[in-house]
Amino acid sequence: MFVIDFKGIDLLRSRDCVVFSKGDAYAVTVSQAMLDGGWVGGQGVQWGPYTDPDSPILTYSSGLFGGFMLWGSDETADQFTAMSSQFLYYDYGVVMAGRSIMSTLAFEKYTYASRLSGPPYVPITYNPCDPLFMSLRGYWTNQDELTLSGDPRAPALYCGLVSQVPKAVNQFYLGVQTKL
Amino acid sequence: MTLAPFDPDVRDRDVIVFSKGPSFTTQIDSVLKTQGWAGGQGVQWTDDPTSDTFIVTVSHGLPGGFLVWGSNESADQYISYTENQPTYSFATYCFGTWTISTRTYELYTLASRTAGPLVLNNYVVGEPLYFSLRGLFTNQDESGLGFVVGSVMQVPNGTLNLNYLGVSTQT
Repeated sequence: MFVIDFKGIDLLRSRDCVVFSKGDAYAVTVSQAMLDGGWVGGQGVQWGPYTDPDSPILTYSSGLFGGFMLWGSDETADQFTAMSSQFLYYDYGVVMAGRSIMSTLAFEKYTYASRLSGPPYVPITYNPCDPLFMSLRGYWTNQDELTLSGDPRAPALYCGLVSQVPKAVNQFYLGVQTKL
Repeated sequence: MTLAPFDPDVRDRDVIVFSKGPSFTTQIDSVLKTQGWAGGQGVQWTDDPTSDTFIVTVSHGLPGGFLVWGSNESADQYISYTENQPTYSFATYCFGTWTISTRTYELYTLASRTAGPLVLNNYVVGEPLYFSLRGLFTNQDESGLGFVVGSVMQVPNGTLNLNYLGVSTQT
């Protein structure tokens, strides 16, 4: 018999992205890059070029924001819901947009500068109510990486704020109130 | 019991909701629990390193949301709800886009509240709203942080809307 060890926590975080207040969700085709690379729950995505004239496609965010993936492409918890690799197999994902309150592992742990030049990597300090943006690889971060990298698309969209900081008692998940 | 004359535009609570956005039940910090709050109070997220519960406190200009019900509104007496929220340390947190009417806003300018004599804020339909340094809706960016949390949907009018401020929220 399987026994899931919840480690004594009273709020369950058995997935990459845990939703406390739900936004709008939509099942959509994902890009070949995402099919090849997979994704974690909470991954930021943006709309990509169509390959079929009437099929909207999402791809990894490169600093822009179209929403975030509710479920990762191959999460451990999928084994308990008969969903293993379902998204990759059927070429789709579930994107959430609008206002929600969620908790996720898909955020930048280290500063943009130190990720470029490190090690050593410099941890990002998150504070309650910090504005959040998409990093250049589509993770939540409080740094405007479009501006820091000199990208002509800068500044980054303000797409959320910190509702809970990562800490031991929440298994170092970042709480996010999404705005877009 | 004597009933007040019927008012077709009933405002018997601190916040009247015309269009509902998302909401979330959350814990309140000791400041809110101790001092109480009015419906429409602006709040921001705060942190307790020892707890995994989402917690809000009074906004000082940062965005977040507002609390739809006050901690001890007179209307609570009629629904067996008196002081329910502060007793159990929770509140109903509202964020996103709502259309509300509230009496929880800054009546006077920051400068006049600080130095006096009091000068009324003049609200204009469509202008941006912020949370004041004590978390009330205001048309002045008191914190200088520039976080817009909504816009004026209806201006206060003593005859027409009991001086409630109509707000289209955007948090």
